[in-house]
Amino acid sequence: MLTVAPPDRLESRSNLTFEALMWALSRPGDVRSLPEAGFESILETLVDIECTAFADTPALRARIVASGATLADRIATADHVFVSTIESAEIAEINCGSALYPDDGATLVAAVPHEGQRLRLTGPGINGLIEVRLALPPGFWAMRELLCSYPEGFDCFFVDGASVIGIPRSTKVEVL
Amino acid sequence: MSLATLTKDWAATSYGFLDASAKRELRRKMLKAIAVPGCQMPYASREVPMARGWGTGGLQVTLTLVNPNSVVKVIDQGADDGVNAASIRRFISRVSGASETWDTLEATIVQSRHRVPEEIMRENQVLVLQVPNPEPLRGVEPNISIARQMHADADYGKLWLTLYEQIVRKGRIMQGAAYPSMVNGRHVMTPSPIPRWDVPKLNMSKHLTILSAGREKRLYAVPPYTRVEPLVFSDRPYLVEDHAALTCRRSGVSGFFMNELPQDGGGSVFEVSDSNLGIKAIDCADGAPDAIGDTWYRNGEFSA
Amino acid sequence: MAYVATRGGEKAIEQAERLFRQDLGTIDAARVETIRATMPYLIDRVMGEASLYDEELAALALAQTGGELSEAVLVLRAWRTTQPRLAIARPVQQHELLTQRRISAAFKDIPGGQILGPTLDYSHRVLATDVLEGKPFTAPAVDLADQPAPARQPSLADWQRQQGLVAPSEASNVAPQDIPDLTREPLLFPASRAHRLQSLARAETGGVLALGYAAQRGYGNAHPTVNELRLAEAEVVVRHPRGTEFSAGRVRVSQAEVTSKEKGGYLELGFAATFGWNEVKVIAAATLDLNSAEAPVGSAVHEEFYLYHTESVEASGFCIHFKLPHYVTFQSILDAMRDAKAKKAAAEAAGDVYVAEPEEEPVI
Repeated sequence: MLTVAPPDRLESRSNLTFEALMWALSRPGDVRSLPEAGFESILETLVDIECTAFADTPALRARIVASGATLADRIATADHVFVSTIESAEIAEINCGSALYPDDGATLVAAVPHEGQRLRLTGPGINGLIEVRLALPPGFWAMRELLCSYPEGFDCFFVDGASVIGIPRSTKVEVL
Repeated sequence: MSLATLTKDWAATSYGFLDASAKRELRRKMLKAIAVPGCQMPYASREVPMARGWGTGGLQVTLTLVNPNSVVKVIDQGADDGVNAASIRRFISRVSGASETWDTLEATIVQSRHRVPEEIMRENQVLVLQVPNPEPLRGVEPNISIARQMHADADYGKLWLTLYEQIVRKGRIMQGAAYPSMVNGRHVMTPSPIPRWDVPKLNMSKHLTILSAGREKRLYAVPPYTRVEPLVFSDRPYLVEDHAALTCRRSGVSGFFMNELPQDGGGSVFEVSDSNLGIKAIDCADGAPDAIGDTWYRNGEFSA
Repeated sequence: MAYVATRGGEKAIEQAERLFRQDLGTIDAARVETIRATMPYLIDRVMGEASLYDEELAALALAQTGGELSEAVLVLRAWRTTQPRLAIARPVQQHELLTQRRISAAFKDIPGGQILGPTLDYSHRVLATDVLEGKPFTAPAVDLADQPAPARQPSLADWQRQQGLVAPSEASNVAPQDIPDLTREPLLFPASRAHRLQSLARAETGGVLALGYAAQRGYGNAHPTVNELRLAEAEVVVRHPRGTEFSAGRVRVSQAEVTSKEKGGYLELGFAATFGWNEVKVIAAATLDLNSAEAPVGSAVHEEFYLYHTESVEASGFCIHFKLPHYVTFQSILDAMRDAKAKKAAAEAAGDVYVAEPEEEPVI
């Protein structure tokens, strides 16, 4: 009565990608592996016709259009934001949702080397504390602190090659 | 561009039953649920081939997570062989090719109705709880829009008042299962109708818990190492069910949550509710190696 | 077989399903076709509640569930879940509908005329028992009118707007892909009008009737007059990727507009539409829509109340879920109750005054 085909390549890749993202966000600071380097697999795992997405490269903008999602011309209107370089001033207008609907807060996916500035993370998902290194522009964390009035806020995935670190809005970040 | 680009090749059904767009919506909502522990996230909740109220919320989460390498355990009231647990487990493996297990320690995904297993779940395991009513405020505020505003304002005064009134009237808090609990110090959630016995297992746990109500179209999560605190008054300690001294008549284990079986002529006997824990204990008594993992309760005391 | 024995698991549930299906016998294409061809109004009702327009699949759903309506709707909705959304059809305008029946109770005659169309409204509801005695029932052929009724009819509300009886309406300039879709996003409150009307369109007929009737009887604040009731066929117009629009086929639709009293110098209108021909549902649903604006929170005509409680799949599923075992939650309640009783007994034995309150259901 019901015949089910094995997962195709897209299904398998999205499934693996989501597993990496889910655990990355569940354990802030842990480094998880994506099935392939870059943003593509994250985009196809999360974004479709129901979304409004922003990207700062032409290639990714084309991928957003192909996914059926609405292409945002400003970060403020996007629910998913893909950036290859972090411009704090632009990120400052990111949608942080509302206390009534915190889920409206955007997801930021950014290419950020997992090196440089030492950070100490505490909060849900972290057993005590964890230290990570992330090369973000100075002022990013202070800006996030200002924007994220919990439960309002935005959630971050920092991608370095095929590695991803998740930092949800619930995480307290101290710059060391 | 042609019409063909709008369509897809015919397939009787998608892998894991849900189509790709349904899965993407669930993924987006699960991430937000993890980012704001205990906060109910609305989702579209597609119909699945099971009646609403029969675990369709949990099922949609499991079908999104599952892949051919998954090992799935499904329990209802603690039992793997409950009719609906068997039906759900069979459906999941049928549409995903995932393996089935009764062993909590072997599973990668545990989908459950009304219980958390007695064996401690590990860091890479996901517990998916089926939720009939996701709104802890329903009893004090049936209107969902008003209740949502109360969550936004962290306004839990009415709930505290109800608990206080119970103490005044009955000498104790009368809430049975589904004990309202504060998550990450901000959102009150219902842990689903698990007994009070099971709520401490969600506090600062190693595993990830995702709670999903298909009929009510809400999902929420308790990430690992997140505070889950039952609402209690400082001078009235949280009381789990008085099962610490009960012994299972079949397996002989004691100090776990029990099912009470009324007997002809009065009185009751007890059987351990986590049925596979009982099976492991019986096998062990029959000479097999002891397969029971570490448990949250030891000698009837919560000790994890 | 005893209830407890069904805990025996896989074998028991498999045999129970076999027993149900055995009673129905073999389902073949001929049976499905017979249901499709002979039960159009039943098919319409099921398609409307399933929000899936396919007569053949609806007939199959009825065949394999033996006509258990809530099961038939569920199986269709579940099938719908597996289907991709390929295109978004152009919104349908009332005056474009191929109208087969269109009546108004508000005026003796209306522009375009009262078109009775197919109806049992004025029939004598007598069982044709002769059929059972071997005399097939064939209705006399319809006499053709001198002039066929026009295929398309204007909207009565448009005429009322021109006369200043109904408030002017702004055509909403929402892009097709931005029209909210209840099947892809959760119903939130206050609901958008699109969500409210979509939810009513797929609501359970009996549930909508019960709550609509309650409103009509006096539990609402507006007693409806049927402004316009229409049974029609609508073209499903979609856009080819090259840009041309074309009709992918026709679907049977019903719609009702009901009106009541004056508000702000205009007549208020309540509206409902659904797949298939189902007059009782759209009149009841339009009554609920009409009553929504001033409904007290928590009343049966408040949108949160009637939309949640007329959702066919959710309501039936939750109702039958109470057959599932609940012994863990029950154990938890028993434990609290026994402990409270023990505390009370201990207090009384010690001579303390115990505040006696009536037994209450604990909050769950």
